[in-house]
Amino acid sequence: MAYGRIALVLLVLVAVLVWFLPSYYTGLLTQIGLYALVTIGLNLFMGYAGQVSLGQAAFMGIGAYTSAAFAVKGHVTPWLGMVAGAAMAALVAYVLSFVALRLRENLLALATLALGIVINVVFNESEYIGASSGFKDIPGFAIGSLAFDQRAYAVLAWALVAIGIWFAGNLVRSSFGRALIAISAGELGAEALGVDAERLKRQTFVLSAVYAGVAGAVYASSFSYIDPTSFSFLLSVNFVLMSVIGGIRSLWGGVIGALVVVALGQILQNVVPVVLPSARGDFQSFFLGAILIAMLILLPRGITSRFGEARA
Amino acid sequence: MIAQLWQYVLAGVVVGAIYALVAAGFVLIYQVTGLINFAQGEFAMIGAMTVCALAASGMPAPGAAVLAVIAAAVAGALCYVLAIRPARGANGVTLIFITLGLDVALRGLGLFIWGTNPLSLNPFTGGAAITIFGGALPPQALWVLLTDAIVFGALYVFFRHTHAGTAVRAAVANPPIASTFGIPLRTFAFWSFVAAAAIGGLGGVVVAPITSATYDMGLTFGLAGFVAAVLGGLDSLPGALVGGFALGIVEKLAGGLLSTGWEQGVGFLILVLVLVLRPQGLLGRAARRA
Repeated sequence: MAYGRIALVLLVLVAVLVWFLPSYYTGLLTQIGLYALVTIGLNLFMGYAGQVSLGQAAFMGIGAYTSAAFAVKGHVTPWLGMVAGAAMAALVAYVLSFVALRLRENLLALATLALGIVINVVFNESEYIGASSGFKDIPGFAIGSLAFDQRAYAVLAWALVAIGIWFAGNLVRSSFGRALIAISAGELGAEALGVDAERLKRQTFVLSAVYAGVAGAVYASSFSYIDPTSFSFLLSVNFVLMSVIGGIRSLWGGVIGALVVVALGQILQNVVPVVLPSARGDFQSFFLGAILIAMLILLPRGITSRFGEARA
Repeated sequence: MIAQLWQYVLAGVVVGAIYALVAAGFVLIYQVTGLINFAQGEFAMIGAMTVCALAASGMPAPGAAVLAVIAAAVAGALCYVLAIRPARGANGVTLIFITLGLDVALRGLGLFIWGTNPLSLNPFTGGAAITIFGGALPPQALWVLLTDAIVFGALYVFFRHTHAGTAVRAAVANPPIASTFGIPLRTFAFWSFVAAAAIGGLGGVVVAPITSATYDMGLTFGLAGFVAAVLGGLDSLPGALVGGFALGIVEKLAGGLLSTGWEQGVGFLILVLVLVLRPQGLLGRAARRA
């Protein structure tokens, strides 16, 4: 499958759509793009390498906080902030990988969950980055003197998705990708065939953090406000939802998962109160959880497995 | 200063007693099924919300408490029947995702049924705070500790002195051989969910008068329950008790001496350290599951 070409078509579609959609939906489109970016990275780590991470929101937070701190405190352009955010997320992932990646399955899930929460507590307790009130009025992206509006952010987000999917697409079809799949099938067997499992898992973990870090940096500037609650454990769980619903061993699964979860949230928020007037708040999570379970039982390889792509 | 520290320790003992109950549920399910049930904290939420809602509607507290525990147990049974059993044979990561889905779904359901407002419950018995060496303990704390004593005592008697308990231990020690002796593994898995949910629900009932109940309380208790269970050893019930109290005390000390933010953070730092340095926990046996 030509990942790059389809991604380019999607990008053009988004670039056209933003001129017709109301600004609310343009914002949603940006959100879907950024979540998709995180989930594509997560799918490399969980779907292809067969690992599990319940702390991905923390890497998004590190990207967002780094970029915001550079922009607010150092007046550095968010373009550089994005690179710095990705680098910082990568660095933290690299260091944490020595702790987390020694563990498997259940214990790896617990370790990534714990690390994600500890990072969130650090956000909350660090006065320098605003503690619990976070950053306000984060400077936006600009090209020359042209400041980004909602439409430009949607295009930027989806351009990053296109690049992310093109890169990951090349990766999974290379010997690196095949080695990852070998690891997920059985680490011992993969090592017997000469795969350096530890090194590959580490590289993939760091790469997934880069995807999340970039998404976080764009998130910070496009919403111009972040605080620790934006990157809580619940967001990490949402990324797992997106990953599994879309199809965990599939790059398009990341995009479709993000689209389905965000769109479903919107639809449920509008439909359920009509049917059940007493319902309030974030109740759609009930349906998302139920859908997740149903999918895992009935369609364990996600929506995209129906398109025959997951076999790639 | 010493008096202040002592007060933190007493506060830690009270929350620790609840963590121990949630952790006991984790350990029960993990021992019997090898599964980490991320939805465990939600059973405490169901227990607490049910007892508060029923008591608010005028039902006498003891009746409401019994119904709340039953409600949690039924939720546990449904979780197993609807989500875990149909997925048997799935790999470990898939089962993690399923229990995460259960956690999300149960929390959403709690919000659906009870809304976002916190519900409160009167303490089981009135009276002034009890002072122990100058530190104050609310009367409800005694109910919490009594519940711990009863639950862990009952679990001890069940596992050590009953035929069924011995069968469960055999099933945990060696599932294939236990199975050839006619020990019904799948039935045990079902009852481990029911028991874990009932214990979690009971924890929610006794804690409701201390921390008023909200639909999202399950997350806090669930996460603390993991830390306690891993700290004590995922395959050790006494470990759950020790881990629960240790975590509660450390949390309250960190919260009092550092900041409230680190009250939760310190537990997870400990969790990471334990996973790296001593994955079997304080009282667990080494390398049962690599």
